[in-house]
Amino acid sequence: MTALATVDSKVRTTRNKQIALAVLFLALLIMPLGTQVADQTWVTNSRLFQFTQMFMLIALASNWNLTGGFIGYVDFGHAVFFGLGAYATGVMMTNQHSIQWPFWPAVIVGAIVAAIFAVMIGFPTLRLKGPYFSIAMLGTFVAMREIVRVSKPVTGGGVGLTLPPYLNRALFYYLTLGLAAAIITFAWWIRRSEFGSSLIAIREDEVGAEMRGINTTLHKITIFVMAGFLTGIVGGIWAYQNTFIDPDIVFVDSRTIDLVMMTMLGGLGTVAGPVVGAAAIYWLRDVVWAAFFDWHLMIQGSLLIAIVLFVPSGLVGLFRRDGSGTSLQRLWGRWLAKQGDEPIEADMGNDAPTDQGTQP
Amino acid sequence: MDQFLQALINGVMLGAFYAAMMLGFSVIWGVMGVINLAHGEFIMLGAYTTWVLNKDFGWEPFYAIVLVFPLLFIVGYIVQRVLINRVVDQPILVSLLVTFGLSIMIANAVKLAYSADPRLTDTRFGGVWNVGNVTIPVTKTIILGLALVIMASLWAFLNGTRTGKAIRAAAQNKQAARIVGIDINKIYALTFGICIAITGVAGTMISPTLAVHPFMGAPLTLRAFAITALAGLGSIPGALMGGMLLGIVESMIGIYVDRIGTNLAIVAAFVLLVVVLVTRPQGLFGGLRPIEQAEQL
Repeated sequence: MTALATVDSKVRTTRNKQIALAVLFLALLIMPLGTQVADQTWVTNSRLFQFTQMFMLIALASNWNLTGGFIGYVDFGHAVFFGLGAYATGVMMTNQHSIQWPFWPAVIVGAIVAAIFAVMIGFPTLRLKGPYFSIAMLGTFVAMREIVRVSKPVTGGGVGLTLPPYLNRALFYYLTLGLAAAIITFAWWIRRSEFGSSLIAIREDEVGAEMRGINTTLHKITIFVMAGFLTGIVGGIWAYQNTFIDPDIVFVDSRTIDLVMMTMLGGLGTVAGPVVGAAAIYWLRDVVWAAFFDWHLMIQGSLLIAIVLFVPSGLVGLFRRDGSGTSLQRLWGRWLAKQGDEPIEADMGNDAPTDQGTQP
Repeated sequence: MDQFLQALINGVMLGAFYAAMMLGFSVIWGVMGVINLAHGEFIMLGAYTTWVLNKDFGWEPFYAIVLVFPLLFIVGYIVQRVLINRVVDQPILVSLLVTFGLSIMIANAVKLAYSADPRLTDTRFGGVWNVGNVTIPVTKTIILGLALVIMASLWAFLNGTRTGKAIRAAAQNKQAARIVGIDINKIYALTFGICIAITGVAGTMISPTLAVHPFMGAPLTLRAFAITALAGLGSIPGALMGGMLLGIVESMIGIYVDRIGTNLAIVAAFVLLVVVLVTRPQGLFGGLRPIEQAEQL
């Protein structure tokens, strides 16, 4: 294959991808019309609800990926922004003391509250490295749940808040679809911009990036606040759709870790990864949850371990072509080599081959 | 004054338990660089084993230690060989996620087996001593004594025996330890087994006073992390001081801040943690190895 032909096929692949994405988006856009066509179609209100949930997870996982994937700060408490967005929206909409706000300004307030909190918590915690950041954020999350629970005059405490109900599935469908699309585009744009390259540089070598003249603190805070703001919007929409919030359902422990899992499964630090991962896990869980209710969390735990151990680069990485074919092909080749009892070149962990230990 | 003394005594007793339950977490992190997020679940396993022995066989909870220790040692040894050994040399995110997956699995397996109802074990060492206006519960005094015994024996083991010295050598410099003929894999599995055994015993100790349920582990893991960061990795005096500090702070907040109970105590723990991490990242007391080595993500 000549160089020109390679370039040509690359261009064609890109164009095919774009066309496929456009078709998918259009299909999702016209899907709610299915409820209007006939009484019994595949598209029902509950189906729209499922898709809404999936879009929210996609949006949340993409937001998580902004900090977890791009700057490598693994945030175990990202749902704190979701919770703040949900609660601020809820408080504004059910305000007992003055006027009750309509949804749109309330959700913006929710997002701004989340962003302000991100600035406040980001300054101390983003100075921490690796596991310390993760656990400090986890602590922030747990602490926020208790703070919301005890601030009874504002948040209603453990009793929770009931928002004005609004049952328009199609509206929430379009809202979350638009939000997810916007966030994915935003992530894609960031990944290609100079700003995004600086973020990746911070992930790979923070001191080196600092030396190179990147203002690492500013970059980290900026992306952290953006992720917090966007997550706050999702939280607000969720609160309105759910019409009821209390500390235990808003600040669920599993919410953050689900996002980590989805992003890991799809591919950490890629734009498509969180999308693929969130969609895959949502539908998988739908099946598993329906079939083995008691066991679904155990299955989820073992799945998490399996993903981390066996597909560390995620589903997206599995099909990404670089050098010697896709990593799926490499995995397959390694497995064949194992069958033939040949020594395997370990490509992870530099001192893996010497791991047998020295006999005295 | 009496109230203050009472809070102080409660805090010391709580702190002793915290110190005993976080030792395993701290030593595992210090020796093999793995942050074991399933730590609290091993406490829970120890507590459940005790509860079963207590309910079905009528054992005194504190005597159950003789069975919990070897049982949890075997569990820890196997878990290390099968799972943890694969992630020891990998980035910290990998071990965080694997141990988190493990914690979900253990907690839900126990929930399937014994439901999520909170339980307590019955001890015959109930009752209180009254000293002036201060009450000292007998059970908690036993817990305090056991915690001190555990810490002293672990200290003696790490400093006095050949195996203990090998463990410390492996923590300080893995390559050099290997060169002088230490079987790293065996030492790691042994360390993990011993640490999990101690952790299980901590669960046994606390089962008469703390509600035993499948999801009791996560808050304890968080506290173990906070104390480890305060104390320095694998440092036993640091563990004692850090545990006491957290215990006393929590108990003071519980007594002096109205209508809050101990819910906000965990908030205090994390404010303390973040302050210490930002101002003194090597911990307050130093430890098995510099904390920077464990920081590479």
